[in-house]
Amino acid sequence: MVGIFTQMADAQASEGAKRQAAEAALAYLTEMSPDLRGAAILGRDGEVLAGSGDADHWRDDAATLFEIADRAGGEPVEQAHIGAEQGEVFALRHAGLAAVAVTERFALASLTFFDLRTMLRDLAGETSQPTFVGPEHVKGPQRRGDGG
Amino acid sequence: MPPKPHRVLLDRVSGYADEAAAYMRRRRAARKPFARLYYSGGRGEDHATDSTAGGELFVAAGRLIEVAGKGRKQ
Repeated sequence: MVGIFTQMADAQASEGAKRQAAEAALAYLTEMSPDLRGAAILGRDGEVLAGSGDADHWRDDAATLFEIADRAGGEPVEQAHIGAEQGEVFALRHAGLAAVAVTERFALASLTFFDLRTMLRDLAGETSQPTFVGPEHVKGPQRRGDGG
Repeated sequence: MPPKPHRVLLDRVSGYADEAAAYMRRRRAARKPFARLYYSGGRGEDHATDSTAGGELFVAAGRLIEVAGKGRKQ
């Protein structure tokens, strides 16, 4: 019986650590990308691990976007890039996680996807030296385009 | 024989007008909405705004843009 409670506590602690890492990664990405208006990181079940603004809206609207994109291609989409008059939407799935970002128009698509993919790889634990999640985040990120 | 002064002026004005027209054409092409989806194996698809999937994608993207808000103040 005690073992069950211990496992539950471990699971909660792990979930908390995951959310904390996602929030740190998102904060770093937001600081580093001047074109970014908002973003969210979604977990395996579609729950929002970190997001700017209303988490429920991010979860529902991101799920809708992925569902439409999956249906359109007949298979699970890996990346979606939609440019509208009001802004651009980037959505990416990697290692069971997903990231959705909204930027200003004419943001550099390859760079944005690279940053999102690196962030998800860090969170999934695929990298030995994380770029977005790790002790270097404590030092404070350098905004891109500051010119050194 | 040098060209008449008003010819020089006309050429210059029409040159600027051509430049402006080209700029507007490029801007119109760049501002055109698009929806690109990429699948595993590198397969990519473009969806036009007037297609069913394209229309749905733009509606979903519009909602996400609303959720993100106007962005950060610089």
